[in-house]
Order: sequence, then structure tokens, then C-alpha cells
Amino acid sequence: MAYWELTHAKAWSIAVFAALAIACGRPAVTPPNAGTATASLPDWSGIWLPDIEDQFAQIFSNPLPWKPEVAAEVKRLTVAEAAGHPKGLFANCLPEAMPAWMLVSHNALEILFTPGRVTMLGESDGNRLRRIYTDGRSHPADPDPSFHGHSIGRWEGETLVVDTVGVLPQTYIAVSEAVGVPNNGGLHVVERIHRAGADVLLDELAITAPNVLTTTWMTTRRFTRQKGPNADILEGVCLQGSFAEQTDARGDAVFVPVPHTDEGNPVPPPAR
Amino acid sequence: MTRTLAVVAFTVIAVTGAQAHHSSAMYNQEKTLTLRGVVTQVRWTSPHVNVSVLADPGRGQAGVAWVLEATSPGNLMRAGWTRTSIKVGDRVSVVVAPLRDGTHGGWCRGVTLVDSGKKLEC
Repeated sequence: MAYWELTHAKAWSIAVFAALAIACGRPAVTPPNAGTATASLPDWSGIWLPDIEDQFAQIFSNPLPWKPEVAAEVKRLTVAEAAGHPKGLFANCLPEAMPAWMLVSHNALEILFTPGRVTMLGESDGNRLRRIYTDGRSHPADPDPSFHGHSIGRWEGETLVVDTVGVLPQTYIAVSEAVGVPNNGGLHVVERIHRAGADVLLDELAITAPNVLTTTWMTTRRFTRQKGPNADILEGVCLQGSFAEQTDARGDAVFVPVPHTDEGNPVPPPAR
Repeated sequence: MTRTLAVVAFTVIAVTGAQAHHSSAMYNQEKTLTLRGVVTQVRWTSPHVNVSVLADPGRGQAGVAWVLEATSPGNLMRAGWTRTSIKVGDRVSVVVAPLRDGTHGGWCRGVTLVDSGKKLEC
């Protein structure tokens, strides 16, 4: 039975159940039969490629409502990027995380439906993973902060509505891979994700970050679908590029770190 | 020759500062140049693929090792690449957006395999 096909009585009982659990100071326990029947969900198969041109266009067409002191830092980073000295928000290979993954990623993602859960898997960075619970649970009272936060979702017709809290304050609200600031805590993201036509997926985001934004920022990010033989997600481990593949004295194939200076520049190997 | 290429390959590993996940703003995307040379290394790794090329010597100068960076393996695959599209020893002509600081690195815009004429977009 699809989520939206629950009878009114069942839906009401679930709401009461959740409210009672929250009132008791505990997260709601998954009510029985609250999982979403995947057969009735929309077709989001294939992989989804972000519209990078639109990401850049929105830097100017839909600027963020930064607080004044934050706007000054964003301007400094913007000037540095334009001058060819990008900060490299993700150069440490930590996850792009929420909400930057949805905002500025250049890489494909896929979306998997299983009963009671929607899972987003991203390419190029092994840590890109969002678990969105659609089984009727509520957020924990005190979620452990994480890169992608705690996400609960519900289906409104063919639109997935996702509510995310519990995101680490260090994750970036980014306008590019080189310009962005930490959300600094209290981040709340509400998304309405739905198809617009056969092969376009829209993610309408409402981002509230009280420590860096003056008001909730609304943006829509576009993804286009690709199917076919070249539409597989490849494994991507961000740190792999920081290692060289060599053979050790035993003849074993090993990874060897590429040495770097304190400034982040690689150290040339000793003369051979 | 093999030894020379091996040395170049190790050097290339060492001077590649752009392995991590980063913006491509250090490259001047408004400027392009074309390199001709021999591939000395291909690193088919996330988040960015790196191809090293020993550029042909010219005007009395010795060949110069260039490190070319491209997008992720997944994005290249969807543009028609495989991890063996370009191999060590291949002669290539590469269009690059060079590093703004003038060192020998660039963002790969397109590769032509000289022997076969095959073209690949980066």
C-alpha cells in the first residue's frame, strides 16, 4: 500500500502514535505497515546528472541572503576564485555533504527505492550517501550530527518531501566548489523532489541557516536523467587520487601516499 | 627511453598538486593551448583523472612534462572514454586550459590520438 493510500484513520493513528512518542521524549517507533510500496512510486531509475550551467547561473540570478559579515567572506572567496586561487572547499575529500551536494555537485547520483526508505548515492566520493526514511518515523529528539543529517520523507503524489536536520555545523552552504561558508549550526532543509517531464528531476530546496542567512533561501536544482550502457555509477573514492599505485619490496601491489608540503604542495621525490 | 619515461612518471606523481577534490579555477579557462607529445602516465582515479604528457621538444628546448587534469572517471566514461582510451606511450595532441601561474599543468579540454586520429572530449 502506497504511503498516500493510507486510510485517513490509519494516517491519523500514526500521527497520534508519533505525537505520543515525541511527548514521551523518545523518537517515534516505526508504526507497522508504514513502509512505502515501491511499485507505486514514480520512475526515478537511471542516473541523474546535475545541471552545472544552471548552478553557476544561479550565483547571479538567485543570490543567497547572507548576513552582512558572511557576505564579506563570500565576496573575498569569490574574488580569490576569480583570480585563480580557489579555496577548495572539498579539497580535504570530506563529503560535499548537505546541502552542498545538492547545490554544487558536478557528479551523477542515483536514487534507490526500498520499502520505507529512499537512498541517494553519489558518484566520485564514496561518502555521498543520503538515507531518507519514508516509514513514518520522526526525527530523533537529539540527532547525532552528521554530514548528511537525519532525513525523513513523505510522498505527496509523485513528489518526495524531505525534511533534514542534524547536519554538522561545519558543512558548507556553497555556491561553487570554491565559494561557500559553514552553515554554523541550526541548519534545516526542506526539499520537494519531483520529475518535470520524462527525464528532468527538480529538487526544490528551502534552506534555513539562522547563523549565516537572514531568511530562508529558496532554490531549485535541476538534474537530467541518463540511461543506457554508459549510465552506471562508478565507484569513486576521493582520497584515491592522493595515493600512487606502486609495488613494494615484497612484490605486493600497494598504495603509497603522495607526499605534500605543509602548504599542500607535493614534495618532489628524491633524485634517482 | 623506458627509463626516461619512468623518471618522468615519478616526477609527474610528485608535482601533481591537484589530486584532491577542488575547483578548476586555478586554470585559465579563457585561454587554450595545444600540446603534442607522448603520454607518460594515466591515473584513472577519483575525483579527477590525471594524464601526464611529455611534450615534444622544440626550438632547442628539451621536452617538458605536463600534468593534465580532467573530470571524474564517471563523467569521462559518459563522454565516451574508458580507462584504456589513452595509454602510456600513445602520441597525443591535447587542447588544455593552462594553469594561471604559468607552470606546466592544464585542464584537459580534448585529446586527439595522433596515430588513429580518434578524438576524445575531456
